[in-house]
Amino acid sequence: MKKLQQLFIAATAAMFLFASCSKDDGYSGIPEDRPFNFEIPSNFPAMAQDIGNNMPTENGVALGRKLFYENKLSRDNTISCSFCHEQAYAFTHHGHDLSHGIDNLLGIRNAPAVQNMTFQSEYFYDGASNGIQLLSIVPIHNPVEMDESLPSIAAKLAEDDAYVQLFQSAFDDGEISSSNMLNALAQFMTVMISADSKYDKYVRNEPDGNMTQQELDGLSLFQNKCSVCHATDLFTDSKFRNNGLPPNPNLNDLGRHVVTGFENDKYKFKVPSLRNVALTKPYMHDGRFGSLESVLDFYSSGVQETQNLDPILQQNNTLGIPLSEEEKQALIAFLKTLTDETFITNPLFYEQT
Amino acid sequence: MKKTFRNILIASLFSGLLVSCSNDDDTQQETIEGFGDAELFFDNGMAGDALILGGSKTNSNNETLTVNRLNYIISNVVLIEEDGTEYVYPKNESYFIISQEGDMHTVHLENIPAGDYTQVRFGIGVDELRYLEGETAQQEFWDYAAANNMTWTWSTGYRFINFEGTFTSENNSEPLQFQVHQGSNSATDNYREVTLNLPTTARVRVDEMPNIHIIADANTIVDGTNKIVLSENLNTAGTNASIMGGENLILIAENTQQMFTVDHVHNGGGSHQH
Ligand code: HEC
Ligand code: HEC
Repeated sequence: MKKLQQLFIAATAAMFLFASCSKDDGYSGIPEDRPFNFEIPSNFPAMAQDIGNNMPTENGVALGRKLFYENKLSRDNTISCSFCHEQAYAFTHHGHDLSHGIDNLLGIRNAPAVQNMTFQSEYFYDGASNGIQLLSIVPIHNPVEMDESLPSIAAKLAEDDAYVQLFQSAFDDGEISSSNMLNALAQFMTVMISADSKYDKYVRNEPDGNMTQQELDGLSLFQNKCSVCHATDLFTDSKFRNNGLPPNPNLNDLGRHVVTGFENDKYKFKVPSLRNVALTKPYMHDGRFGSLESVLDFYSSGVQETQNLDPILQQNNTLGIPLSEEEKQALIAFLKTLTDETFITNPLFYEQT
Repeated sequence: MKKTFRNILIASLFSGLLVSCSNDDDTQQETIEGFGDAELFFDNGMAGDALILGGSKTNSNNETLTVNRLNYIISNVVLIEEDGTEYVYPKNESYFIISQEGDMHTVHLENIPAGDYTQVRFGIGVDELRYLEGETAQQEFWDYAAANNMTWTWSTGYRFINFEGTFTSENNSEPLQFQVHQGSNSATDNYREVTLNLPTTARVRVDEMPNIHIIADANTIVDGTNKIVLSENLNTAGTNASIMGGENLILIAENTQQMFTVDHVHNGGGSHQH
């Protein structure tokens, strides 16, 4: 019986698809949709997100990109995702320690890079979301970021013919719905892959992958001292850890604890990816450090024994990771090889009108 | 639009079945065939009394609670026959919100195979499987939940139970606010299911809709096997008891498994018109 019912549902759905497809082709002028061709870098770990029910398509990605640059995603139509995530800075909020959003309200955290998202299992410094399809809800709902609701955005977009056509061309049901908006953004973020830095070329034995001796020294220091947390070629293990930053008394940000409420999650923050790190200053969840030099000075001599400090940073009775000046310079030289010019200049991610 | 169309199709399919079954009618005493509806009615209570928003009740933690909000998500409904046969309500349709302030008390189930059901099982909240399927699977439920205060504001999860009000205790004679927001997060899965025995068999027939009357005791959320004393959970400023994470949610998950009891079942509730 149940089978039969499902069959019928399937048949009905198929009829509808059919009907809606033939309808679009008639007047939209948007090319027929096809799977978006994107490659998984050979040096990356497996995807952490299941994108099987939302595989990127040409039109889906184009729609996601348009939404990423769309001010209507905010209550007063002034703030888009790109306002805080600028391509030239690997999709971070350049020059802002704490991001400011709607009504010029100041947030409590620094905007991290949006890149290689499907390979990560947790999002935001506190893990406010762990699903790529849902994560866009977080900035949209945030009263100091976009302060909007999904149904209200859908209503705004429905008044725009361009969106009506794009949604029809990108999704089977063609609707301007909450789920289709989130899925389009997820498709766009799925293809925002950064894997073409000098370092990548080096590990994949590609042309232009020659590292200097100093960069190679930096790489091996990194592998010894940093890669437990900034792990794999994503340079994050997607875990929450306390790296010993003295808590900022003005913010008193408890990090992961905000989401879980567990005492042993206090002051833990998601390990950020270090790809494009030379472009993403300022650093740390509150953007307290203005340069990589300051970051390394901190690891070398500023780590504090706060609640839940990661055991890795308090080995052999020493706090932090002592580094000589030379080692710091080598590490910085290495971190700079993670800059991916192709990613930050890829027209695929530009605003297109 | 799509949905209506689908329902019509399903309905016509079922009416087709009914017609084809009617042949047997005269040969059997009672035909238990075809499909009918059923309803779960959630009657909210507070420590044995009816729940009245704005009314007060002292519990065994020696705290007097004035409840201003009680909303919760009921999901994954399963009806079980005496021999253990389970009818699992289609997952896509199986998410419901009960809200005292919204006067939303019923879970209406359609197209249930006719039968005699002796147990009901349901979930409190949204299961991880569902959640991880992402927004596509959740469709309008996210928006519906958001409109009913059943989504977290700073993360992408559902509130399974939203229980709010004020309380007084030995430590505070002036009422202080409390918010108990039960839910899962990416560290703990607090979704739980309960299976309840029905005191009377629920008869689902083509023209008979049973109404399963369930009492939900809100007090059990904090005052069940696990005692959650609000005055011991104040914020640092001492102005508010917010329980939204940590060990407490795991304890509450256990309590909520005892919060529901079936009071009675109305059978024959007339033929339900679609
Ligand atoms: C007002 C500035 C602002 C806007 C607008 C904004 N973001 Fe962000 N974004 C941030 C900040 C700040 C964080 C870090 C917040 C945190 O960790 O709590 C962040 C984090 C993220 C992350 C997590 C990255 C990681 O590594 O965990 C993603 C993905 C993201 N934003 C995507 C988006 C999308 C998509 C939009 C538009 C729907 C958007 N953002 C709009 C400021 C913003
Ligand atoms: C114990 C785990 C751990 C180790 C070891 C570690 N880090 Fe980190 N790192 C973190 C965490 C967690 C953060 C984010 C902290 C925050 O924002 O509160 C971070 C942040 C950073 C940032 C800032 C990134 C940004 O975009 O804001 C840089 C740069 C960095 N680490 C470099 C390094 C280097 C270089 C090493 C080795 C010398 C290292 N880390 C070792 C856990 C670690």
